[in-house]
Amino acid sequence: MTLLDLIQEAAFRFPSRIAVKDSSGALTYSQLTSLAGGVARGLLSRGISKGDRVGLLVENSTRYVVAYLGILGAGCVALPLNTDNTQKNLLYILDQCRASALIGQSRFIRKYDLWGIARGGRLLVVTAGKADYPINDERIITWDDLLGESDKALSSLSGGDLACILYTSGTTGRPKGVMLSHENLRSNAESIISYLKLRASDSILAVLPFFYSYGSSLLHTHLAVGGTIHVENNFVYPNKALERMAREQVTGFAGVPSTFAMLLHRSNFKRMEWPYLRYVTQAGGPMPPAITRELKEALPNTDIFIMYGQTEATARLSYLPPDLILKKAGSIGKAIPGVELRCVDKAGRRVAPGETGEICARGPNIMKGYWDMPEETRKVLRDGWLYTGDLATVDGDGFFYIVSRKSELIKSGAHRISPKEIEEVVVELPDVHEAAVVGVPDEILGESICAFIVPKGEELDKRAVIRHCRKNLASFKVPHRVETIASLPKTSSGKVKKYLLRDLVAV
Amino acid sequence: MAYRDEIRSFIVENFLMGEDSPSLKDATSFLEEGIIDSTGVLELVGFLEETYGIRVEDEELIPENLDSIENIARYLEQKKG
Repeated sequence: MTLLDLIQEAAFRFPSRIAVKDSSGALTYSQLTSLAGGVARGLLSRGISKGDRVGLLVENSTRYVVAYLGILGAGCVALPLNTDNTQKNLLYILDQCRASALIGQSRFIRKYDLWGIARGGRLLVVTAGKADYPINDERIITWDDLLGESDKALSSLSGGDLACILYTSGTTGRPKGVMLSHENLRSNAESIISYLKLRASDSILAVLPFFYSYGSSLLHTHLAVGGTIHVENNFVYPNKALERMAREQVTGFAGVPSTFAMLLHRSNFKRMEWPYLRYVTQAGGPMPPAITRELKEALPNTDIFIMYGQTEATARLSYLPPDLILKKAGSIGKAIPGVELRCVDKAGRRVAPGETGEICARGPNIMKGYWDMPEETRKVLRDGWLYTGDLATVDGDGFFYIVSRKSELIKSGAHRISPKEIEEVVVELPDVHEAAVVGVPDEILGESICAFIVPKGEELDKRAVIRHCRKNLASFKVPHRVETIASLPKTSSGKVKKYLLRDLVAV
Repeated sequence: MAYRDEIRSFIVENFLMGEDSPSLKDATSFLEEGIIDSTGVLELVGFLEETYGIRVEDEELIPENLDSIENIARYLEQKKG
């Protein structure tokens, strides 16, 4: 049984129920599965084979869902790509996993100038008419071409087959491809469905991008039960999203800490009534307890689930039951059904209650490894356990509390950002001697990005630094602040003491 | 006109790498053109509050007030009376 089987079953039971709706229209379950079948056959009839990697560079939309399920249905490996990106990074990913095809929204193919990938023999499917193409190549086809008639038979899938690769920021600055199987997707979806008690009558406003594991899990869980996903990309203006949320009477909402900070402090959320909202979920980094309390006050009759997970675990690892959010404030709860969690010391021994150790996880949702990175894989997958890199304590009742992350990734909004990648771009500037990038607390974003720079001469044009970053980094990786410093504080082994830098800018 | 020029310079300096573009018209939607994301909107609000000594209320955070040079100028004119 794969996730696709569950979705087929939902389509059989509720053919005319709305599966996905965006600003351009809605698809019923029967329309969705039929279109996805068209994408699957279209790919296979153009020489793409089972196991081939197919990139997906499309914003959250009904089309994204059709393409994603089509790729999976063809037995191919879906490669959801961040739409806020750079050409360099996208080409790196497509090359690193030797992708055979890319399905892209014309806006992004133009923005990142990706037309050339068809020359390397790859299939490029673009969501716009041929008139818009700057080059003519038989390997560039339109979305309508892809969906054309084909009677190609679909291959059968087993749980162990690879379903998707999600690229995450690596501390080395190079993204790593997390390999997830069909079994990973199904098991994690079923576990989440069971504790959220999701049913076909549930619907959610999805503001999180599907190319991250959290957003992807919203898609999987709702489609598996026959629920409805309302795609909302306009969270830039939360009030518009809230109007839609109320109008559609959604029963669920999912956000990262910055989503809730925006709702509580920069929108009409608290002044509105939410009688249909059965539950909200929060993951993607620690939410300040004050925000959790404020959220509970704003939603006295709605269940609030605090959750924890990793892309390497498909999405979810733990959750805190809603009735305990005040009693166990600050906790990420306990393992989700089917998953084992423990905290271990450096020797791999389970730590005593109250002592700090690294969170390790075991279960059917743990990734197969990082694509073509055996050494990186060995570092985190050992003796059947995933070593998360997160440090935590466990209380006497078995509840987990995150203490800190072992890695230095910055969590800003819904993003995980590698400081090293930004540092590498900053030091390309001739006036920069050395740079260190840290995350500093931010009321809305969780963390904002601050670059400390040791200039070569006396003066540094800070605006030039920002301009250079904007040209060479995705926009969410551009530092919010640039500070000059005479020298970087370092340990005797030469490692930058980033905690001291963080203290310098802390208010 | 003063508002429009000041807003334009802020947008160009902060979101267009300092390079003014003829495609940035007074009516261009920042969202549709991918000029501003949600962090950008907060930066823009910070700029308006500091520069013009106003408070942008939660219910005023809507594209009709903030999503183009023209919309911001109109909003400021109303706000400043």
